[in-house]
Amino acid sequence: MEPGGMAQHDFLSQPVSMGTTIMAASYDGGVVMGADSRTSTGTYIANRATDKITPLTDSIYICRSGSAADTQNLSRYVQWFLEQHGMELGDEPEVKTAAKLAQMMAYQNKNFLQAGLIVAGWDKHEGGSVYAIPLGGTLVKTPFTIGGSGSAYIYGLCDKLWRPNMTEEECRAFVVKAVSHAMARDGSSGGCIRTVTISKDGVKRTFTPGDQVPVAAGELPPPQRAVPAQV
Amino acid sequence: MSGIGTGYDLSTGTFSPDGRVFQTDYAQKAVDNSGTVVGIRCKDGVVLGAEKLIISKMLEQHSNRRTFPADRHAGMAVAGVAADGRSVVSRAMAEANQYKSIYGEAIPGHVLAERLGSFMHLFNLYGGYRPYGVSALLATYGKEGPQLYLVEPSGVTYRYFGTAVGKGRQGAKNEIEKLKLGEMSCREGIQAVAKILHQVHDEEKGFEMELAWVCEESGRHFQRVPQQLADEAEAAAKAALEAEDMDD
Amino acid sequence: MLHRPTSHSAAIGPGPVPSLANPGPALEQQPRHAPQAPSCGSEAFCVDPQALSSSHPRQHTQYPYVTGTSVLGITFKDGVLLACDTLGAYGSTKRYKSFDRLRKVNDVCMVGASGELSDFQYIMRLLEELSDDDFCMDDGHHLKPAEVHSYLTRVLYNRRNKMDPLWNSLVVGGFHSGKPFLGTVGMIGTSYTDAHLATGFGNHLARPLMREKHHPDMSEEEAVALMHECLKVCYYRDKNSINKFQLAKVTKDGVSISEPFALETNWGFKLFQNPAANAVGTW
Repeated sequence: MEPGGMAQHDFLSQPVSMGTTIMAASYDGGVVMGADSRTSTGTYIANRATDKITPLTDSIYICRSGSAADTQNLSRYVQWFLEQHGMELGDEPEVKTAAKLAQMMAYQNKNFLQAGLIVAGWDKHEGGSVYAIPLGGTLVKTPFTIGGSGSAYIYGLCDKLWRPNMTEEECRAFVVKAVSHAMARDGSSGGCIRTVTISKDGVKRTFTPGDQVPVAAGELPPPQRAVPAQV
Repeated sequence: MSGIGTGYDLSTGTFSPDGRVFQTDYAQKAVDNSGTVVGIRCKDGVVLGAEKLIISKMLEQHSNRRTFPADRHAGMAVAGVAADGRSVVSRAMAEANQYKSIYGEAIPGHVLAERLGSFMHLFNLYGGYRPYGVSALLATYGKEGPQLYLVEPSGVTYRYFGTAVGKGRQGAKNEIEKLKLGEMSCREGIQAVAKILHQVHDEEKGFEMELAWVCEESGRHFQRVPQQLADEAEAAAKAALEAEDMDD
Repeated sequence: MLHRPTSHSAAIGPGPVPSLANPGPALEQQPRHAPQAPSCGSEAFCVDPQALSSSHPRQHTQYPYVTGTSVLGITFKDGVLLACDTLGAYGSTKRYKSFDRLRKVNDVCMVGASGELSDFQYIMRLLEELSDDDFCMDDGHHLKPAEVHSYLTRVLYNRRNKMDPLWNSLVVGGFHSGKPFLGTVGMIGTSYTDAHLATGFGNHLARPLMREKHHPDMSEEEAVALMHECLKVCYYRDKNSINKFQLAKVTKDGVSISEPFALETNWGFKLFQNPAANAVGTW
C-alpha cells in the first residue's frame, strides 16, 4: 500500500466484504435489530447504502456480516427452507427454527464460509428472541448481541447501556446510539443506520441517513440545508 | 379366475374395474382382525390401550409389545401385523430424530402423522410391494397440547378425540362416544380404556392389556402406564363391569 | 429394521446426515457413499484418489472460534463433581458470558466441554440421539458413564483420522453401580480416567492442588471446597476465564447442575498495593 493512496486499485481484487456493525436487542415485547450500511472491497466502499437486515420470514430477520456473497446465499437458503417448513407446519416458523437452520448451514460449511450472523424475530411461543451465530457456527441465545468488525469498539458501551425490559423506543434509541458509536471508530462501518423492530404488532423499519447519524467526539456535524436535498 | 378379487387383487399396481385397490383393502382387513387397540385424548394427555391375545400359555408376560415410543413426547400403539408395526415405529423414530436434528425442536404431532401417512402410502403404489398391514394410533404431547392421530394402511391420517381399531372397534367406539373426554383426566382415562378393552373382548382365550400414555403426570413423556396403576385400573374396570352385570 | 437416516450409520460415521431433504422412501436403495468404498457398505480404508489429484494440499483442520476454557472434575465418596466457568470466548474477547458448558447426558452421566463450543453443541446432539434411542427402546437400559466416555473417544479419534478434528477436550463424569466415574477425551482421541481431572490450563493450575488435597473418600463438603479453590486459582491465572461458575454433581440420586455463582477472591495483600515497597525503583 502506498502511503495515503490505494495500492494498485486493490479493490479490484479484494473480496466484497461487510466489515460491519450489526446488533440485535430484545425489549419488553419484541426485538430491535440494527446495522450500518457500508460494504467495502478493500478500502473502496462498494455500497454506501447497503441493507444488511434481511427478512427470513414475515417476522424473522437476519443481520449479516462477513462475506456479502456467502451471507446472501446462506440467507436465501434459509428463506427457502423456512418457506417449506412453514408449509409443512401449517403455521409461521419459530425464531428458534430459523436460527437452527442458519446455524446448521454455518456449522457444516464453516471451512468455506465467512459469515457472522444474528437471527432475531418474534413468534407466538417465545415472543421476541435474539440468536447469535458467530464464525464457527455456535448457536447462542442471548438478550442482546453485537457483531461485525465495528462491534469491538462498543462492547463497553453496550454492556453499560443495555438493560432488560426496555420499552420499544428506549431499545431503538439504544441500538442507534450503539451503532453510531461503532461507525465513529470503525473504518469498515459507516454510512446510514437501519433498524428493524419486530413485535406481535408486526415489523417497523427506521432509516437514519448518513448526514443525520449522531456525531461522536472529535468529529463535526455536516452542515444541514434548510431543506434537505432529495433525489 | 375366481374368488372375490377376480385377478385384480394380486398387486397394488392395478386398480379393479370399479376403482378399488384390493391389496389395500386386504391390508385393512389384517388390521380389522387384530386385537383391539383403543386411544382417547383426555384433558391432560392421551391414553393408548391394546388388547393382546395370549396365543400360548408358554408366552412370557409383557412379550409381543404393541405400544412403542417414537420420541420423548410421542408414541404409538399398532394394530395388525406386529412386525409391520415395528417397521412403521422405526420409521417414526427416524422422522422424529431427523426433525430434531434439523429444526432443533420436537416434531409436532400433525407433522409426524402426515409423514408417516406419506410413508405408508408409498407401499400402495408399486406392484412389487405390499401395503403395511398396520393401523397406528399416534399419541403426542407437544406445544399444541395432547393430540391423537390414526394412520391407516392406505396412508390416510385422521385426528381423533378417541377411536379404536381391530376386532372390537365397533363396540369400543360406541363406548368411547359415551365418555366425556373433555372433562376426563388420564388417570380416569386408563380406567375407561381398561373397561372398554374388557368389554369388547369376547374370546375364550385370555388377554393381556397394555396401557401407555403421554400426559402431565408422565412429564409429557410417552411411557407405559406404571404397572401398579395399570393393575389398579384393570381391577377397577373389572369390578365396574361386574357391578353392571349384576344390574342387568 | 429399515435403514435409519441418522448419524450412527457405519457407512458415514457418527453425526446427523448432512442432507436437509426428507428421508427418501424406504423403497429406494441407499447410494454408495464413495467410489472406493467396499461393497459391504463399511467405511473405506483407503484415501479417495480424487481427493489426492487436486493440486492444493487438502486443508480440513480449522481453527477454534468460540471457545470454553478448563473443565475440572474430581471424585468423592458418593460421586463426582464437575466444574467450569460459563464463558464462551471469541479469541481473547469475553463474548458470551452465560454459556452452559456442563450438560446432562442421562440420569447417571454428564459431560463438560472446553474448546470449540460449536463442536460441543454438535457432540451434545450426538449424545442426545443416543439417549433418545435409549428412551425409545424402552427396555430400562441406558448408557453408562464408561460407555459414553468410550463412545466420545471413538468419535473424536475418528474425526482426527479424517484430518477434521472436533476441537474439544471433554470431561465425562458419572456414577453407576455404586462407583464414581471420571474420564477425559482430547481432540485427537487421547483418553484416560482418573480420580481427578482437568482440561487445558487447568492441568497446570488446578491439578497440582488436586494432587495435594484430593483423596477418593473425601466428603462432598471437602470436595466442593477443593473445587472452589481450584476454580479460584484458574480464575486468577487464566485470562480467558470469568468469575461465574457452575458446579455439577452426579451421585446415586442423579445429576444436578448448579445455578451460576461467583467466588470470593482475595486481592488484599499489602504488597499488591505497593509492590515496590521493599525494592524501590523496581517494577
